[in-house]
Amino acid sequence: MMKRTIGAAALVFLFALWLLPLFWLIITSLKAEQDVMTDHLALFSVAPSFVNYAKAFGGTDILKWFKNSVIVASFTTLFTLFLNSTMAYVLSRIKFRGRNSLLLFILAGMMVPFEVIIIQLYLEFNALGILNTLAAVILPRLALPIGVFILTQFFKGIPEALEEAAYMDGASRFLIFRAIILPLGKSALFVVAILSFVNAWNDFLWPLVSISDSAKYTITVGIANFQGTHGTEYALIMAGAVIASIPLIVMYFIFKKNIVKGIAMTGIKG
Amino acid sequence: MQHRNRYVARDIALFSASYLIVYFAFLVFPVIYGIYLSFFDWNILSTKKFIGFKNFVEAFGDPKFLASFAHTCQFVLLSTPTIIIIGFLLALIAVRPTKSGKVAETVFFLPYILSTTVVGTLWAWLFQKNFGLFNQILAQFGLKPIGWLTDPRYAMASIVGATIWWTAGFNMILFSAAIKQIPDEIYDSARMDGAGRFATLTKITIPLLKDTTLLVVILQLIASFKVFGQAYVMTGGGPYATTEVLVQYVYKTGFSYFRLGYASAMSILLFMVILIISGFQFILGKESK
Repeated sequence: MMKRTIGAAALVFLFALWLLPLFWLIITSLKAEQDVMTDHLALFSVAPSFVNYAKAFGGTDILKWFKNSVIVASFTTLFTLFLNSTMAYVLSRIKFRGRNSLLLFILAGMMVPFEVIIIQLYLEFNALGILNTLAAVILPRLALPIGVFILTQFFKGIPEALEEAAYMDGASRFLIFRAIILPLGKSALFVVAILSFVNAWNDFLWPLVSISDSAKYTITVGIANFQGTHGTEYALIMAGAVIASIPLIVMYFIFKKNIVKGIAMTGIKG
Repeated sequence: MQHRNRYVARDIALFSASYLIVYFAFLVFPVIYGIYLSFFDWNILSTKKFIGFKNFVEAFGDPKFLASFAHTCQFVLLSTPTIIIIGFLLALIAVRPTKSGKVAETVFFLPYILSTTVVGTLWAWLFQKNFGLFNQILAQFGLKPIGWLTDPRYAMASIVGATIWWTAGFNMILFSAAIKQIPDEIYDSARMDGAGRFATLTKITIPLLKDTTLLVVILQLIASFKVFGQAYVMTGGGPYATTEVLVQYVYKTGFSYFRLGYASAMSILLFMVILIISGFQFILGKESK
């Protein structure tokens, strides 16, 4: 009994420890600035208020950045789903010579870290003349090898017989893809959609490199930039961080199962 | 049936075209272009000049490159074991089929979905010397404030600390997915043989997780070698460039000094490190099968 109580207490302590940074993030964002820069460790000495949020929305470009991130993440997700599912369909349901080599060639892309190609991508987009646009932020994120992998595995599991019957009825591959494969692959598509959305929303290095006009920043770059322009206004910076995180936190609590499944699937690839 | 065979080539082309175009344009091409550029001396304004392996030779004699590589290695050595072990311990809590297990999974994984910059700005604030939470807590115990991010002795460790909090949940998910695959019968028979909790852990769970552990180590090594965002946001590379990591130096060389050939050469070196690590996974993975 004693042992159990100690175990439970340790667990509660661990939860509190893990949540403390997030707790402090929210608390700070609700503080008045003079209440932040103080030696007293107190939750609030002045009543909490949303003044920092008002300031963030009214005095900075955060709303624009938020909108940019919504555009980037939505389009990235949409196009990623289209590109990756059609590719995965070829790799899983059509038999042809060289199919395995093609699959390996695509999976090899998982070994190329984004950090390694950033200079070349910059030069390429510069040459294409589309640097400093949201399209530049979106394009390099669309061919997602892990997405092809997840979808190919999943599509392989769809019974052959369903497709056969449709072919007998004279259906084309396009119809079969749309009417059979996509609806049955819904759960895998959903996992890829979430991975893609989260990646796009949180992407930092590439938007930092490709966007120079501050009105076109995504929210991650905008928040990082806050530190430069608002130096020690920690309450304002924390309010910005909260705003930047809300969509993902909401998504997390709604789709936690799918997010976790996506991570576990990345693990299976070895 | 006829239809199916007649149009097979056309269908393959139509279905895979969009993916392959994007894949070639924004992944395959940049890799090849990077290898090409690494043999040139080029700073955007001048004309490209072929210089063979000179960029690579320069890198190995460049104190800033060597220092940034050393800082990355320092981060790798500090972060890899800690994040993996903590991830594993969190998994042991999260796999329990109780309500607290479920809550644990939710709580420990939560930080992982935050963006680099949110984590960076948040921890920069927690670590802030005069008014940050951690030093305020120390003050409650009468302890002196610590320059978490301003003292060269602690800055890298502080960045690692923030990274543990941020990403340990990822490894937890991989470990707990693998633990859940271990059949209950194995544990049941161990219990019948009188094995205690600790013995089951060291004699059954850990050995059976060999493959997963290998995968987690490889993924973690790769992730750690790529470190940039959180360090950049928390310290900007300071104090005295002690947390300036390799990716930041590549970024600086390319976009502040405009030495594109040299920056590409350093990227290729990082890529080679990552390929070697991935190669280990391939070789070790084959052996275990």
